[in-house]
Amino acid sequence: MTRSQDIEAKAAEWLLRREQPLWSQADQAALDRWLDESMSHKAAFWRLEHTWQMADRIGALSARDIAPGPRRAGLPLRWWYAGALAASLLLAIAFIGLHSGPTSSPPPTADTFDTGIGGHRIVPLADGSRIELNTATNLRTLISNKRRDVWLDRGEAFFAVAHIEGSAFIVHAGPRLITVVGTQFSVRRDDDKVTVAVVQGRVRVEDTTPGASSGSITVTPGDVAIGLGSSMMVVSKPVAAVEDKLTWRDGRLVFDGTTLAEVADDFNRYNRQQLLISDPSVAAIRISGTFKASNVDAFVRLLKEAYGLKVELTADGKLKIST
Amino acid sequence: MVDDQALKEWFCREVLPLERSLLAFIRRNWRDAADVVDLRQDIYERVLLGARHGLPAQAGQFVYTVARNHLINRAKRARIVSFDVVVDLDAVSGNDVLDPERHLLAREELRRIQLGLEQLPPRCREVVLLRKIRGLSTRQTADELGIGIDTVEKQMTLGMRALANFMLGGSAKVQRSRVPGMLARRPAR
Repeated sequence: MTRSQDIEAKAAEWLLRREQPLWSQADQAALDRWLDESMSHKAAFWRLEHTWQMADRIGALSARDIAPGPRRAGLPLRWWYAGALAASLLLAIAFIGLHSGPTSSPPPTADTFDTGIGGHRIVPLADGSRIELNTATNLRTLISNKRRDVWLDRGEAFFAVAHIEGSAFIVHAGPRLITVVGTQFSVRRDDDKVTVAVVQGRVRVEDTTPGASSGSITVTPGDVAIGLGSSMMVVSKPVAAVEDKLTWRDGRLVFDGTTLAEVADDFNRYNRQQLLISDPSVAAIRISGTFKASNVDAFVRLLKEAYGLKVELTADGKLKIST
Repeated sequence: MVDDQALKEWFCREVLPLERSLLAFIRRNWRDAADVVDLRQDIYERVLLGARHGLPAQAGQFVYTVARNHLINRAKRARIVSFDVVVDLDAVSGNDVLDPERHLLAREELRRIQLGLEQLPPRCREVVLLRKIRGLSTRQTADELGIGIDTVEKQMTLGMRALANFMLGGSAKVQRSRVPGMLARRPAR
């Protein structure tokens, strides 16, 4: 009687295969079929998936341990554990203020963390907060008992902020300053454009650029606030849509009726192999689906096979997509 | 009907933390230790089939009831199991609940993951670490270690399963196959 062992082994194989670069829509469909065959398959798969994802934590810590990156001088290793610990005890109320920032350049003692193209890194902070850096991101942190400062110089990061009474958590994104009490949200910076997406908690966004007339805006889960220059806009989306924007955290990109132009931009953020789309009718094609961010090849193959598009390599090494 | 996503979240959040307690319950009430994993899996299947129609408010009570009924049914069907097992089980309170494992602090959870990794056989641990820390694919891991892809796959799946057992149930015993590529088969009772 080893039926359950058989199923568990099969579930582990699926889970492993799903992480591989060649995972296709057809593979996903096959996995879905297998899961639908029996509730026992689902039980085994979900159980392994759950603990296997939990085990990712070890990656975050050890990578931090092993990586030659900056290390807080004199901070014992156990603080990293404490950090990871408190990050899981997040509280939910936040205020974000976007202020002007000529004064917001960090002191030279700030720690620097960065990722290259396609990179992903989890940084547990000593205060128990956690920052996840997305592709091509630079940020600096300065943590003290009274105040926690993060400078997002470039890219995108997800913040899980531990609530500490009397200690503000401040994200400086270019000319804007984001003050937080405890919540989960992401900030993405494309030069002057700053996008704040809130997953949990309540957030107040304020633009205090000198001369700015706009007041403060309250952002709740599912809201995405976009600040560009002195203007600020809030778009309400289903929470699931905001979470789709954060699937980079597990290396996936999720699109739902997104134009090919935007999809290509997203892939280009994660990969050196750049996609080029000049034909407006191609750029307007709507794409839905889940893709591995690092797997441009699979995506390009899908465009060829499912959409009948032409792909050619340009002189400067880009993949040009056309009809 | 509860959709799959909600069912999965409920299962991971409410049912999996009961695993340690569920295994202890099965062991207490079932003589053949070799059946424990199969029984656990059958119970999970029945729990999900039941919860599909509406998530139970009390997962601990619900899983306990499913587990108890399943053991009684199995004992009644398996003629070879002596009747006193069934009697014992009937005597076990039907209103008991299984206790979820105390919510682990992240530090403890991390410690448990580390312990689980330490208990894996060296080769198995190595492939798991290459995957989790350096994010290598199966192919890259095989190249890095100079071993075959099928070996990497085998070690990785063994590692996944042993880690799940350790993190949920407390034992990281690797389930080894006796015949390469096949799962160990116990002789029929």
